[in-house]
Amino acid sequence: MSSDFEAYEQDFGTLTAEITNKIGRIPKLGGEEKTQLVLNVDKQLEEVRELMEQMDLEVREIPIQSRGMYQSRLKSYKGEMEKLEKDFKRSRIAYSDEVRNELLGEDAGSSESQRAHLLDNTEKLERSSRRLEAGYQIAVETEQVGQEILANLHSDREKIQRSRERLRETDANLGKSSRILTGMLRRIIQNRVLVFVLGATILLTIILAIYFNVRGH
Amino acid sequence: MDNSGKEKEASALIAEAEKKLKSSQSFFGALFGGSSKMEEACDMYARAANMYKMAKNWCAAGNAFSQAARLHLQMQSKHDAATNFIDAGNAFKKADPQEAINCLNRAIEIYTDMGRFTIAAKHHISIAEIYETELVDIDTAIAHYEQAADYYKGEESTSSANKCLLKVAVYAAQLEQYQKAIEIYEQVGTNAMDSTLLKYSAKDYFFKAALCHFCVDMLNAKLALQKYEEMFPAFSDSRECKLLKKLLDACEEQNVDVYTDAVKEYDTISRLDQWLTTMLLRIKKTIEEDESDLR
Repeated sequence: MSSDFEAYEQDFGTLTAEITNKIGRIPKLGGEEKTQLVLNVDKQLEEVRELMEQMDLEVREIPIQSRGMYQSRLKSYKGEMEKLEKDFKRSRIAYSDEVRNELLGEDAGSSESQRAHLLDNTEKLERSSRRLEAGYQIAVETEQVGQEILANLHSDREKIQRSRERLRETDANLGKSSRILTGMLRRIIQNRVLVFVLGATILLTIILAIYFNVRGH
Repeated sequence: MDNSGKEKEASALIAEAEKKLKSSQSFFGALFGGSSKMEEACDMYARAANMYKMAKNWCAAGNAFSQAARLHLQMQSKHDAATNFIDAGNAFKKADPQEAINCLNRAIEIYTDMGRFTIAAKHHISIAEIYETELVDIDTAIAHYEQAADYYKGEESTSSANKCLLKVAVYAAQLEQYQKAIEIYEQVGTNAMDSTLLKYSAKDYFFKAALCHFCVDMLNAKLALQKYEEMFPAFSDSRECKLLKKLLDACEEQNVDVYTDAVKEYDTISRLDQWLTTMLLRIKKTIEEDESDLR
């Protein structure tokens, strides 16, 4: 029983490989060859369907315990077959695209890639223009910041100039005050000397007065 | 930091200082060196005020500083008095703006008396800022900014003067005193053109001046724009000039959509700030009014 199933599986495998190959070739060909290939693929799909039905019957004959594995395999094969049918249909639609191209005299098969290429380019252009805008915005902001900084620098410059002037004035004033202080010091010394001299004179006078008084007696 | 402890210390200091004052004013005190007692009292008031500041009791700190300042005035040391008034003003700024303004005004009187106009101007700016932010009184703020600008011009610091004048212009334009704003912007712009540092900001000033012209009358704006382009060739390359031309065209054709598009386009590159948006909105409203009049 299972060996039958395995034989079916092998047939299925080979058939699907052939079909995929042919489906891949269909869009590239044209005219007679194409119709031939299409009929071919059609026939092979029929064979695949019959295989599937037989595999189904086989599975039903297998006892229930071991049925599960075979049933899952069957399901995956069914899915593959449906996918092949879809691909086949799609490739046949591309068939009409080929005829159009023949009529309009373009290169067969390159219109797809051309379109993709153009879309790619447009996207790249959009991305670069967005980046340029962002860069421009940043440049404008930088300019504004620069303006503010320059204005601040200007006002700081004036402040520094003013403080330098004031410092020079203060320096001159300090010089003047130190001169005044030395003058004051000199006068203090003079006054002190005068006081001493006067004191000495008065003392002398008193001593002389006492002396003459004593001598007078 | 034990704040309540500081407060107690501070109040103790103030009580001591008052006692010293009283004693210095009595007969014997005046005989035996009243002035040194007053100085000590001043000192104590200042220390107490600092402690109140540490305890964040701004009102008390301000009061203590004002007391100290008054004592200094009595002792004829104007500099110290003025500095203490400024400290009082700063302390009151955080609590009672009105008191702060009083203290700052008194300090400014003292400074102008002494001839220190730069510092006076700086404090005019502080007062104007208080009026701007806390007591929203734009007219007095403008007056103070103008005073400050005059003082700065007297002291030949044109860039500080320009800073104040610009603020005046911004508020004047907001209050629709367009003529004043236009004069200020033109003056500052022409000054800026000549200086190497400032010439990159000149186009901004001309742009604002042209906008103010626009708010008054469209024809004015056109003439003004031509005049500025002649004076300052670099102006015509700037985006602002292009925006203005577009706006003028939109205004001539009375087309609000073109106007809005131009403004939006400019906005995507550089954000329009509050002032610009208000002015542009006013111009837009005049266009809409004209449109509805014509209809």
